[in-house]
Amino acid sequence: MSPLNRRQFLHNLGVSTAALPFLNGLPSLQAASEPAGLSAKRQRLVIMFSPNGTLPSEFWPEEEGDQFQFKSILAPLEPFKNKTLLLKGVFNKITGDGDHHMRGMSCLLTASRLLPGNIMGGGGAPSGWAGSISIDQEIKNHLQSRPETKTRFGSMEFGVAVPNRADPWTRMSYLGPNQPVAPVDDPYRMFSKMYGQMKDKDTLASILDDVKDDLARVSSKLSSRDKQLLEEHLTLVRNLETELKRPADTALAHPMPPLDPGVELTNDNTPQMSRMQINLLVNALANDMTRVATLQYMRSVGQAQMRWLGVEEGHHSLSHEPDDNKESYGKLLKINTWFAGEFAYLAKRLSETPEPGQSGSMLDHTLLVWTNELGKGNSHTLDNIPMVIVGGAPGFQMGRSLKLDKVAHNRLWLSVAHAMGHTQLQTFGQADLCAEGPLALG
Amino acid sequence: MENHAPSSRSLPENSLAKLLGLLVAAPLLLPLQAGRGAEGVGAKIYSESCAECHGKNGEGVHGKYDDPLAGARSVQALTRLISKTMPEGKEGSCVGPDAEAVAAYIHSTFYSAEARARLHPVRESLSRLTVAQYQNSIADLVGRFRPGFDRPPGTERGVRGIYSGFAILTPEEEEAAKEALKKKEKKDRKQEKLDRVDPQVSFHFGAESPVPEKMIASEFTVRWNGSLIAPETGTYEFVVKSENGIRLWVNDVEERPLIDSWVTPSVEVREEKKSIYLLGGRTYRFAVAFFKFKDKSASIEVWWKPPHGILQPLPREALMPQEVRQSMVVNTALPADDRSDGYERGTTVSKEWDQATTAGALEVIEHLELHLDNLAGTKAGAPDRLEKLKEFSLKFVETAFRRPLTPEQKEALIERAFQKSPTPALAVKRLALFALKSPRFLYPALSSTEIPDDFTVAARLAEVLWDSLPDPALWKAAQEGKLRTGEQIEKAAQRMLADPRTKAKLAGFFQQWLDLERAEHAAKDATLFPEFTEAVRADLRQSLQLFLDEVVWSEASDYRQLLQADHLWLSRSLGKLYGREVAEDGFQKIVPAEGQRAGLLTHPYLLSALAYSKTTSPIHRGVFLSRSIVGIQLKNPAVAVAFEDAKFDPSLTMREKVTSLTQNKSCTGCHGVINPLGFTLENFDALGRWRTQDNHKPVDSGVSFEGEDGKTVRLTAAADVARLAVSSEKAHEAFVQQLFLHSVKQPPAAFAPETAAALTKQFEAGNFSIRKLLVQIALTKALQGLPPEPVKVAALPR
Repeated sequence: MSPLNRRQFLHNLGVSTAALPFLNGLPSLQAASEPAGLSAKRQRLVIMFSPNGTLPSEFWPEEEGDQFQFKSILAPLEPFKNKTLLLKGVFNKITGDGDHHMRGMSCLLTASRLLPGNIMGGGGAPSGWAGSISIDQEIKNHLQSRPETKTRFGSMEFGVAVPNRADPWTRMSYLGPNQPVAPVDDPYRMFSKMYGQMKDKDTLASILDDVKDDLARVSSKLSSRDKQLLEEHLTLVRNLETELKRPADTALAHPMPPLDPGVELTNDNTPQMSRMQINLLVNALANDMTRVATLQYMRSVGQAQMRWLGVEEGHHSLSHEPDDNKESYGKLLKINTWFAGEFAYLAKRLSETPEPGQSGSMLDHTLLVWTNELGKGNSHTLDNIPMVIVGGAPGFQMGRSLKLDKVAHNRLWLSVAHAMGHTQLQTFGQADLCAEGPLALG
Repeated sequence: MENHAPSSRSLPENSLAKLLGLLVAAPLLLPLQAGRGAEGVGAKIYSESCAECHGKNGEGVHGKYDDPLAGARSVQALTRLISKTMPEGKEGSCVGPDAEAVAAYIHSTFYSAEARARLHPVRESLSRLTVAQYQNSIADLVGRFRPGFDRPPGTERGVRGIYSGFAILTPEEEEAAKEALKKKEKKDRKQEKLDRVDPQVSFHFGAESPVPEKMIASEFTVRWNGSLIAPETGTYEFVVKSENGIRLWVNDVEERPLIDSWVTPSVEVREEKKSIYLLGGRTYRFAVAFFKFKDKSASIEVWWKPPHGILQPLPREALMPQEVRQSMVVNTALPADDRSDGYERGTTVSKEWDQATTAGALEVIEHLELHLDNLAGTKAGAPDRLEKLKEFSLKFVETAFRRPLTPEQKEALIERAFQKSPTPALAVKRLALFALKSPRFLYPALSSTEIPDDFTVAARLAEVLWDSLPDPALWKAAQEGKLRTGEQIEKAAQRMLADPRTKAKLAGFFQQWLDLERAEHAAKDATLFPEFTEAVRADLRQSLQLFLDEVVWSEASDYRQLLQADHLWLSRSLGKLYGREVAEDGFQKIVPAEGQRAGLLTHPYLLSALAYSKTTSPIHRGVFLSRSIVGIQLKNPAVAVAFEDAKFDPSLTMREKVTSLTQNKSCTGCHGVINPLGFTLENFDALGRWRTQDNHKPVDSGVSFEGEDGKTVRLTAAADVARLAVSSEKAHEAFVQQLFLHSVKQPPAAFAPETAAALTKQFEAGNFSIRKLLVQIALTKALQGLPPEPVKVAALPR
């Protein structure tokens, strides 16, 4: 821990630097800094991404505080207003190589500079991948390091209509420098990752009777010596059958979700894909397969054609149009409102699921963060990037609209990490942007 | 004694040769019959003078002479042995005609291999697929639905490179472009393309473009397309070195690249490594994508480390410009097969094996799930999708079972599965899983009908020659009833011989026969032999492979060449070590010195493996020559004695040390054979280099050698041992036996007591063609139990 961080840490505890010498060697300090009883509860984090900036005047409420009105884009969140926290004034202050889209995307969750590289964007210098771990993976590593918060997957990366290419515009989650994590945008593949083994077991169990019959049939024509080999084989099959009948080690709290068969991964099927992925995500959280997840819609500079909204043009092209182009403005409004609707659906599903062993719903114990790589599409600004938080967590007072003073987004990720129990984390990403510590959101 | 061929069917091409072989064999066997039978002189002498210690039927008597009387000595050699040494205490009392009569009796009643086979008939044992058979069967089963995936590599080598970039403009063109820009006309920049076959993916463009006079240097892309030839089964490591953006695909070019380094973090050359498991004798799709964007320089090198090889630039010989389709390679590791009898066979099952075959089957159905519509030739929502999926399932099950289903089976299996499953895709998965877990797939013999038919023959041919399932051509032949006569079956086998799968199978045979696994790990003392590097060992291995390929796949395919060739394939670095400068790159066929080398017997890869880390080992070499080359069976040593160099007088030669080590009477039985043979190779040091001195004394490689026929010959060099083997029926039979075991995975005697002997006769009559022998071995298996051919059989002597 650097001196700065140590001071910061003590400051956060409310201990002045004057007391510093006396604190050395206090063994209980670290333990005491953890919120009491957190380990017994499940706290979750889901970060949702949609691309190409928003329409600020249709997005940010005029008011500050707990008395505020949603603008049209956020209208779908009305049922969850008292569980919503809107943070205007969060800036992505990361400079360096890469154009705004690239830094907007690949520095969004890492909050540090991109590495130099060979990928040329629409401006600035060419760049490579992100230079450090992303916040979701940082929190995952923390949770996975402790038995009481360890889960089967640790983190899950969902995608919706993410193009099959790997570059700084398509990746926001990183295991570390140069190690992008690809989101899974195929619900069938995700389902297979979650339940593949069980599905296999079912298929396997369904054929073993036939295999046994077959063994008996072919065995009847054989000499006694050869029969013996097949006897041994039959015993192995019987043993396998017994193993398959044994109940799984941990019974599922929630049944495997049904999956519509045969939906193709096409642009026009995106709404179905989105709902399938959200249902799988909620199921994974409910069955405690993970406590950290990302949900990435398309990609930065994504050109999704949202024909289901009556929009033929590509999203990114539309986002470049000036504000006074009424037609494109109207389409962008539809597009962003649709994303808000998907986000609200995620909140709704969680609010309908009771929290195991606790009062309230799963939503009360989950932080849902919806963000974007740009503040505004046609200006490519990294200021005022959308940050909509729904749900609940220690240290987060919901039901408010806040206007923060140009704070670095590093500090928001610190607050989130602390809420997730990763309280030792004193800086995240580019350290000099963390000098003022986590945002106080309580 | 009946003298018949492995089966009672006629083989047209070789029938004359075979007949001759049989006629030659008959007189040799006749004298044996004289001593046979309980009433003969031999029998009387045996029961009076021998049975007390050796047992009534030569089975041995506990406490007197434990070991059964069994071996490979000739009647003559037995006679001599008896005359000299028997009965114990009364030596010299059984000589002349008496010794001859008792030797003939022993030989024909229980001593010889034929006698033992008659007394204890060997039968084919039911066997499951071996690891190699499982992997190959799966690859070919899924490959049925990707025609062309197994296209043979042809002769063209290298990889197709497609270079694209912006053209360098002439001043006029540049002017025109500026004008267009002014007028805000959109005009595409002029492109330059180059399409050619590159020998390798290895380029250092520097700051230039690949086409300096035509293409601009600041940004360009290259795509290399082709296929990769995997010589051996195992893990292949790929390494790409580049400062630019690259992707590399092996086998699967649709899914994720094996190496994805498209976004590069820095300007320095990076190395990206990934491994992939591939089956030998097959080709795999290979592609590399490359791009440069304003980087200061551009370069790319693709390296590989094949199984048993060293890391080296991916060579031209391993690449071909044609593109093949994806192969299904099972990644599940299967437990190693039983090798206790010297060849891999599937005569046991275990929990690990059952689990592995389950995991393997699940891997296949996952692959099917991912590619189902493509493999079944349909697509989502197609009106005939259900029909196509049923067709797919039927073909899958039939291919796995190596025969068509009856209408009743179709109904009971396919139709029922589709009725019972919620979706057609699930029905396909269940059927595929069932097929792969069924004994009919896992035990090839179980899919046969009670009376073998055309499909049985097809399955047996594929098993023996390819370790796999019938391909579409074999299937078609079976369907059309064209695998009935010996002539038809031989024609099919001939066609199969040219397939790379046969080559892969034979490569496995040499691996086993020559114990190449041992050679791979034969490191030498680094202070004494610093020049014997890993790279040299890899070159030696390649040198041996080139030699085996050259001999086996030449027109003559002559076994004698394997033992007698006087050349070596040498590379530059091997040339330095083994006595002849090699000027060019690659391997050259070189005769180091007249009369020194004798094929496999003196190949330095084997000689260095059959040696200690500091010195030669005449014992290891002698055992190899006895068992594998000359065909003398050896018992395991009575007492294990370690060779400890430090215990000997330091002035002795290796020959002197070994002689002294094995002088004990209990050793001489076998070492009387082993040592002389081993000493003939003393002119080759621990690396297999020629030498005339050992420990500052002249090398003495001359020996007297008494063969199993009782004759003593003088041997002074490896070439003499080779000549001995080439003219010895026992040696030929030993080779036949080894190849048979490896190919069929059953002992030849399981087919008929005389199978090995009859095949040996054919082998000799067929000018020792290894390929012809392989065909005959395949026919032995294929024809087993087939109803006799009505017309042709009459022509055979009964």
